[in-house]
Amino acid sequence: MAFESGRRAVAIKNVSLAEEHLADHFPGFPVMPASLLIEAMAQTSGILVGEARHFQEKVILAKVSRALFHELARPGDQLRLEAVIENLTEEAATISGTIRCENRLIGEISLMFSHIDKSQAGVEFPQENFVFNESFMSLLQFYLKDAQTGVPNP
Amino acid sequence: MRFILLDKVTVLEVGRKITAVKALSLAEEYLADHFPGFPVLPGVLMVEGLLQTAAMLVRVTNDFRQSMIVLQEATNVKYKSFVKPGSLLRMEAQAKVINERSSTFVGAGYVDEQPIVEARLRLRHFNLADENPEWARQDEHIIQEMKRRAQLIGAC
Amino acid sequence: MTISQEEICTKVRETLVDALGVDDDEITDDATLMGDLGAESIDFLDIVFRLEKAFGIKIPREELFPPENLLNDPQYVTNGRLNESGLEKLKEQMPHVDFTEFAKDPDLNKMPDLFRVKSICDYVGNKVNAG
Repeated sequence: MAFESGRRAVAIKNVSLAEEHLADHFPGFPVMPASLLIEAMAQTSGILVGEARHFQEKVILAKVSRALFHELARPGDQLRLEAVIENLTEEAATISGTIRCENRLIGEISLMFSHIDKSQAGVEFPQENFVFNESFMSLLQFYLKDAQTGVPNP
Repeated sequence: MRFILLDKVTVLEVGRKITAVKALSLAEEYLADHFPGFPVLPGVLMVEGLLQTAAMLVRVTNDFRQSMIVLQEATNVKYKSFVKPGSLLRMEAQAKVINERSSTFVGAGYVDEQPIVEARLRLRHFNLADENPEWARQDEHIIQEMKRRAQLIGAC
Repeated sequence: MTISQEEICTKVRETLVDALGVDDDEITDDATLMGDLGAESIDFLDIVFRLEKAFGIKIPREELFPPENLLNDPQYVTNGRLNESGLEKLKEQMPHVDFTEFAKDPDLNKMPDLFRVKSICDYVGNKVNAG
């Protein structure tokens, strides 16, 4: 929706009854799980941080400093996720974000990302950038183009 | 795919602590994207697993009096290592306090002795009928489902 | 505007509570960051960011916590122990830490014991009053 390189990103997520996890969470009263709200924020932020570092490193979620939920998100809700970079260094990035639905504040989330090469000494993982791979990158170009022209995706 | 992040409860001390395990299978759909060529359990699903584990202890401790148990706040969630397919994630949740409407836990996940994740969780519990008495039937439905699940995984 | 060392310490303690999720009473002057409070490398970065914000100072990471590259450098480290030049370099970069005990047996595995709450308070105190 909006993308200011190195600073801020805004994304939209529609909560749809078609989402599989809603059948179990909870049976008869579907609610978007808080953990998946964290995931949505992590993805929005991950793109922001990755892009700021030109997608050269594998950026992964290292810490959720705080995720506070005020209200439930339900099918039919259109969520607006806003992520802002608070700190960005060679080693890590911190993001603070909010999730809103119309004028309701659903959640506030603070995250830390680090670069996998620097954080997982001793763990084997593939050399190529599996976080920001080709299919992800082409999809991203599509969204970024619309964010810059202000045209919503169909 | 069902949204159940624990397969079996191995330890349960009412009001105090619970341990559950989750086996990670290559068949789990989200692994195709997370990440291509390097399938690992997403960090947020580790949090969900710890949350569901803690929630199960709350349900048993509070005699399944509340239907809805959701995350109010998670703090200091740290990711230490990866869970790869074929591993068993052992999730341990210690209750700091379990009240009727809220509870707080310290949770940690391990694969064998390797620490994978730790988190502090604050849960809130309620019934839909609290706001709207017409929803009592939905509460009952959820509670029955949770009781069945608890029995299935050995929580009670 | 000068801020007293006591106020600094209180603010540092609050920052550590937020960053590490521990209870206020666990943060004693002597508590070691890694051993007693469970801090890890991601937490060190978190702490640095928060202290910078809380006190309006700039903290080059290697001043507060030892840089990985120094600890991995064969010039400074032999057989898991810091040598003379390694110890000198560390003292130079981190004047707020008391290395006397560590110097007797500069085993890398013992490094975590060096980082205590008090050394952070002292470091911040120096930075704030210098700038």
